[in-house]
Amino acid sequence: MKTSSRRFFGSIVAAAVGLPFLSLMLWSFAERWFYPALWPQAWGLRAWRYITSTAGLQVMTAIGHSVVVAAVTAAVAVVIAVPAGRALGLYDFKGKDLVSVLLTLPIIVPPLCVAMGLHLWFIRLGLAETYAGVIGVHLTFCLPYAIFVLWGVFANYNPDFEDQARSLGASRTAVMARVMLPMILPGISVAALFAFLLSWSQYLSTLIIGGGRVTTLPVLLFALMGSGDRPVAAAVSLVFVAPAFIALLFSARHLGNRSLAGVR
Amino acid sequence: MGELDLKNLRIDYGARIIIQNFNLAVRNGEMMSLLGPSGAGKTTILKAIAGLLTPTGGDILIDGQSVRDVPPEKRDAVMVFQKPLLFPFMNVAQNIGFGLRMRGQPGREAQRHIGAILALTQLAGLEHRKVHELSGGQQQRVALARALVLKPSVLLLDEPLSNLDANLRQRMRELIQTIQSETRMTMLFVTHDQSEALMISHRVALLLGGRLRQVGEPRELFYQPADPEVARFFGGRNFFKGRVRDGQLHSDLGVFPVGPQNGNGHVRTATIRPEDIRIAPQAAGLSRGLRGRVVKTRFEGSSTRVVVACGANEVIVLTSEDAYRPGQEVAITVPPEKIRLFPGD
Repeated sequence: MKTSSRRFFGSIVAAAVGLPFLSLMLWSFAERWFYPALWPQAWGLRAWRYITSTAGLQVMTAIGHSVVVAAVTAAVAVVIAVPAGRALGLYDFKGKDLVSVLLTLPIIVPPLCVAMGLHLWFIRLGLAETYAGVIGVHLTFCLPYAIFVLWGVFANYNPDFEDQARSLGASRTAVMARVMLPMILPGISVAALFAFLLSWSQYLSTLIIGGGRVTTLPVLLFALMGSGDRPVAAAVSLVFVAPAFIALLFSARHLGNRSLAGVR
Repeated sequence: MGELDLKNLRIDYGARIIIQNFNLAVRNGEMMSLLGPSGAGKTTILKAIAGLLTPTGGDILIDGQSVRDVPPEKRDAVMVFQKPLLFPFMNVAQNIGFGLRMRGQPGREAQRHIGAILALTQLAGLEHRKVHELSGGQQQRVALARALVLKPSVLLLDEPLSNLDANLRQRMRELIQTIQSETRMTMLFVTHDQSEALMISHRVALLLGGRLRQVGEPRELFYQPADPEVARFFGGRNFFKGRVRDGQLHSDLGVFPVGPQNGNGHVRTATIRPEDIRIAPQAAGLSRGLRGRVVKTRFEGSSTRVVVACGANEVIVLTSEDAYRPGQEVAITVPPEKIRLFPGD
């Protein structure tokens, strides 16, 4: 009874997660698929051939742009979030509540407003239509998430480990590199992952700030979808989803183990 | 060498004074306990010696050299915390070798040191274990080994036994004692457990209310407490006042000879340990006995605590016989040689 009900709910979850991808798979291999047919009337590799050869360069460039933007965003977010999370998690100071409100603001305010508002400023600062500008606007969403993750990590962090390390002969910098970083590494990878995926899936803010010059994968995807070629759009969507899947597997490995156990 | 000198140490925490006028000298090769109730500032003192917090005033000398401006990683004093605090991302050998690596000690020599310490702390064979695979006692031994391997002039131990159960605690205490007598390392051992301090140390320093009350050998603190509070800390419960006249203390409990050196005509406080008082049923007819009535008893296993009302005084007696009941008439005898008369008022 128990296993069967677990199987039932498991299959519902699997269906909810898997069905959209199933239709994407079908579309990407469809040559002809018109209403009211349930299955594609003709199968083929045209879409995949298109995105690997004809538009291959375009797709590869877009992937490259996306990877660079997301990776830099994640790196910057983590570099700022580690000291910020440490301050919020370990110390009490005036205005801590205000900081937490300010951090939630970019998450609450619709990204469209943020991007539109920042656009004017970015034009003046010469950041519009540049990589730096796009990374900047992505950081407004990614940084709060990264800080929240590391805030939680440091709230459970025992700074006595650092005192112990110093007494054993580690300098301040050695304590950071050899004790703090290894201890919070699981937290850092989660924060980096969040930031990377958030940046990876940004479309609107990239389009507004990048002005079409910075063509990340979502920007290309929307362009292809607009052209009405659904099999190609489906194939690009699947390419788009791939890093998220890889990241999920990676994080499951990292989050599942007991590497956080010693932090307390 | 490992001499530790604390001179006029003062430590504030915000606006609160934790420690002031603190003077303590630990001799080379000595095992000294810093004893005091929880919250007395013992850990704070250890942290100051280790360099993990900066004292507001005073000086700390290791081997005669002031270490005020020496950062913790350069100080020749290593602290072992109450919790093992083993680095979870390293195995046992890596944890023990951490300090050596920080000193840049070459691999093979470090391995030799680690091996020797593993044997000394009875951890041989566990070097490749992960930290979370160890028992509590093993973790605490690794924490000890990690500090010992650095051969510091002064080893600072902050209640390293308090997280262990009674059995393990005894074995760990004996291990620390063995290591101390083998290595002759100067150790300052912080504890709130008086019996632990009396058992483990050459000398005990008692800290009460932010002030050092008495420093001396275990027997000295136990049998010649400097003031009533020290006596109370070591389980003294019977305090009584009396006037000294011609080498005798005249008190409610009787007249006792106390020697001629004590100030004539003054009122003094005296104490007697509960286990030093003799008690007998009144029927036994002790000639010199003080008459009293049992108020209550508390069975403690090997001994029974009996509260006896003698006139206006209540005397607490510790006896090995569980033969007294509330309301019973008893006779108690106070042996004069066991009375401790406190100097001053």
